[in-house]
Amino acid sequence: MFLSAAGCDEACSDRVVFAVGGAPSELEAWEELAADFTRETGIRVEILRRPADTDQQRQSLILALNAGLSHPDVFLMDVVWVSLFAESGWLEPLDGFDPGPFFQSVIETVDLHEGKLVALPVYMDGGVLYYRRDLLDRFGLRPPETWAELLKSSLRVQNVLREKNPDFYGFVWQGAQYEGLITNFLEFAGSEGGFLLRDGRILLDLPANRRALEYMRDLIRKYRVSPPSTYTEMREEQARLYFQQGDALYERNWPYAWSLHQSPGSPVRGKTGIRALPSPAGEEAVSTLGGWHIGVSRFSNVKPQAMAFVRYVTSSQGQKKMVLRLGWNPGRQDLYFDPEILAALPYLAELKDVFRQARPRPMVPYYPQISNIAQRQINSALAGHIDAGEALIRAEREIAALLIRYGKPARTEPGE
Amino acid sequence: MKKTSFHIDRETRAGIGFLAPLLLCLIGLILVPVAGTIATSVFRDVPYLPKTFIGAANYVSLLNDPAFWRSLMFTLLFVLVSVPLETVFGLGIALVLNQVFAGRGMLRAAVLIPWAVPAAVSGRIFELIYNYSYGAANRMLALLHMEPANWLGSASGAFLGVVAADAWKTTPFAAIILLAGLSAIPEDLYRQARVDRAGTFQRFFRITLPLLRPVLIVTLLFRTVDALRVFDILYVLTGGGPGGATTSLSLFGYRYFSAGDFGYASAATVILFGIAFLLSLVYLKLGGFSREIR
Amino acid sequence: MKEDRLGKILTVGGAILTAVFCLAPIGVMVLTALAGRPDFLRPEVPLAWTVDHLRAVLTSEAIHFPEYLRNSLLVSAASAVVAVFLASLAAYALTRMSLPGRGALLLLILAVSMFPPVSLVGYLYRIMASIGWINTYPALILPYVAWTLPLSVWILVSYFTRIPRDLDRAGLIDGCSRLQILLKIIFPTAAPGIFATLLLAFIFAFNEFLFALMLTTDYSARTVPVGIALFQGLHGQTPWGEIMAAACLTILPVVLLALFFQRRIVQGLTRGAVKE
Repeated sequence: MFLSAAGCDEACSDRVVFAVGGAPSELEAWEELAADFTRETGIRVEILRRPADTDQQRQSLILALNAGLSHPDVFLMDVVWVSLFAESGWLEPLDGFDPGPFFQSVIETVDLHEGKLVALPVYMDGGVLYYRRDLLDRFGLRPPETWAELLKSSLRVQNVLREKNPDFYGFVWQGAQYEGLITNFLEFAGSEGGFLLRDGRILLDLPANRRALEYMRDLIRKYRVSPPSTYTEMREEQARLYFQQGDALYERNWPYAWSLHQSPGSPVRGKTGIRALPSPAGEEAVSTLGGWHIGVSRFSNVKPQAMAFVRYVTSSQGQKKMVLRLGWNPGRQDLYFDPEILAALPYLAELKDVFRQARPRPMVPYYPQISNIAQRQINSALAGHIDAGEALIRAEREIAALLIRYGKPARTEPGE
Repeated sequence: MKKTSFHIDRETRAGIGFLAPLLLCLIGLILVPVAGTIATSVFRDVPYLPKTFIGAANYVSLLNDPAFWRSLMFTLLFVLVSVPLETVFGLGIALVLNQVFAGRGMLRAAVLIPWAVPAAVSGRIFELIYNYSYGAANRMLALLHMEPANWLGSASGAFLGVVAADAWKTTPFAAIILLAGLSAIPEDLYRQARVDRAGTFQRFFRITLPLLRPVLIVTLLFRTVDALRVFDILYVLTGGGPGGATTSLSLFGYRYFSAGDFGYASAATVILFGIAFLLSLVYLKLGGFSREIR
Repeated sequence: MKEDRLGKILTVGGAILTAVFCLAPIGVMVLTALAGRPDFLRPEVPLAWTVDHLRAVLTSEAIHFPEYLRNSLLVSAASAVVAVFLASLAAYALTRMSLPGRGALLLLILAVSMFPPVSLVGYLYRIMASIGWINTYPALILPYVAWTLPLSVWILVSYFTRIPRDLDRAGLIDGCSRLQILLKIIFPTAAPGIFATLLLAFIFAFNEFLFALMLTTDYSARTVPVGIALFQGLHGQTPWGEIMAAACLTILPVVLLALFFQRRIVQGLTRGAVKE
């Protein structure tokens, strides 16, 4: 009934294809949620597993949507892709959905396109700091409030522990050349740094950004508090596993790592603490607005079923399942007051404000290109090829050339 | 007279019929796409803006894009280092395989294996070999009581790592081609040289190398063209990093295609195409191909 | 003689080095696929053998490895057969029929084979997208046919040149058409050459990466090199055991072909490149 006759054969006619990537545990949880949905509605869902690597996820989605393929019907988008997808006309408006229960600021910044709702936040992400409670206690230390404190305590602990474990490092984070590097960088830079949008230009060479980049480089190269593989290999999963093996004191990661660190068989189970990220001295801590948004392809042949699936995923009930299972921070605000969730994830109450105030990255369709430039230059600085300031100057210059090429000044960030 | 000309006509028509599928494939699937790429390169062609003719603006942007220059330099340097290296190694292997010794057949078979392995697979094998914590490369350093190295972590290390991985896969090809050239050199010449008391090295430089010249040029041609478009091994092994240090022109172009920016990507790959085209002309001239095809 | 001794030493040393160079990475791959842990090379890690990785790769539905392998085998076989058939038509015409511009055509074919694939893949993607073929077999088979044609033509021209023209003449006198001559006389005579060309075309298509990366989006048409490149596995950490198990299974068909038909492949490769 809902199909156009062309293209899709019987096998996919009544089936919603949902493309999602992530850590193995997340994919399993999605499979279960989809199974629940099928049980309740009779609509079949096929999970198309994507690599955990977000760049590769983006490439394969763009290639499929640009070709107008009828599947995937539903997909998750990193917050920074929504603008590109919406402006390209690939997202079916989510008519009849009520964005009320979701984080207001996020809906306004990310999910509204020309006045229409085109996506919804499935979960919110903001960077957090994991620490080894047992080790801090042993050395009589407190979790760090500032980046300087983090460095000091890392050095102290690692100097002792390395005698027994040469692979032990103070602090693991995401430094490989990919989007995660940008989110880390923005957090190190704090509230005075980041991408500054001014007069249609994007400024990067700010004092706070320089200090942050020098600090990041020194963590690896000068103080050796972060492993040398930080700028070549470290992504979310590499950092999580490093910490989880017991080889690090601190870890910067997204909240998803919490439930994995605390899972049975994890060497750091019961020894891990979580808190907001440290900040540059005298500033509020800054977390980069991350998270994943769900949308329906305009080319889908099964839009009603796809909408039903989105409704299920973003419902209070569906979100709660995923939150309890994965330790996610739901896109719905109401769940932050849910007693069952708060009992299981007490830290959520504390992190709620982190998400409400998390800083977005520039919401422009060519953000991926801006990010590519910044990633490359920042990664070069971490590798020691160029000086931190030089890297930022070069990135700024390249981004300016990029903006000319796309003939559009950067839209001003809402709330800026 | 009349009959003959009719005969030729029919013959030619049949010949064209035989060639038609080939020509259709080459035109439809290779020449048209290349022409399309050239045409696209003068447009701003991204999914979120209307397609606009912008003349040479993409090329101007490319020439002002340090990332483009970096990948151009990487690509040329990669060709300059890997092709001679692989040819010399290949010649060494070919010289060995050209000798008579027990197990020569088995060795010849072993040489074919790396050639047959997909570059994407060899890329992953080398990614594992270079792995910091447990790769074979660092295990060997440990046996020598040396510090482990972060092989793909520095620009120069990644460059050498990629060259080594590429050499593993492609040296055998050079060796096979050169071996055929070697075995075509008449044994008599060597016998004569021995009678004249020419030494091993003298024989190599006076007989082998000069007679091998045409085959060497063919090998260099194939290897150069291949190295110029290197993609698979980089995509898998380094992803173009660290810091873009191993992004070839092919990878640069692919990145923009897969980001949906077809105009910019097309312009970059047109430049690569131009370089490949010019280089192959030079080689074809050197190798005297047009004379050989009678 | 001293010279000969030196030569012997160089030969034996060279042979050993060559063998190690070619086989050591394969050894790493096989051992990692079969070892319980990827860090088995560390002295303190006990070595335990397992076939779990192989089993996981073959049976886990989420990895889709069997589908990738099936896609690869089908796509490569189909494109090799089509390419070699078309190439043999062309090679027949080029070697047997009087055609104007024959040399120029051979040069053009050679030149086409030197185009960088990336400079056509973008537009090819557009074409395939506009006819709705992205992520289907034809989207790969057609470019693979075009891509392996030049090589196949060159090899077959070299084989066909050696077949005496008297055979054709006999066929013509018997009233056979040109196509019949090709199918009934040339094909059987040149069978070893045709087979070698098929093998090479198959291996080239099997190893192709960029087209497959850009023209397919999931396991319904994606080939195994791309599958391996994007392999993430089910258990978090880069699953080296499973990746290497998949690598072993992937290279098995091509390596077996290479070993069994060593002589033919070498002959084919060199025919394409070396004028004897």
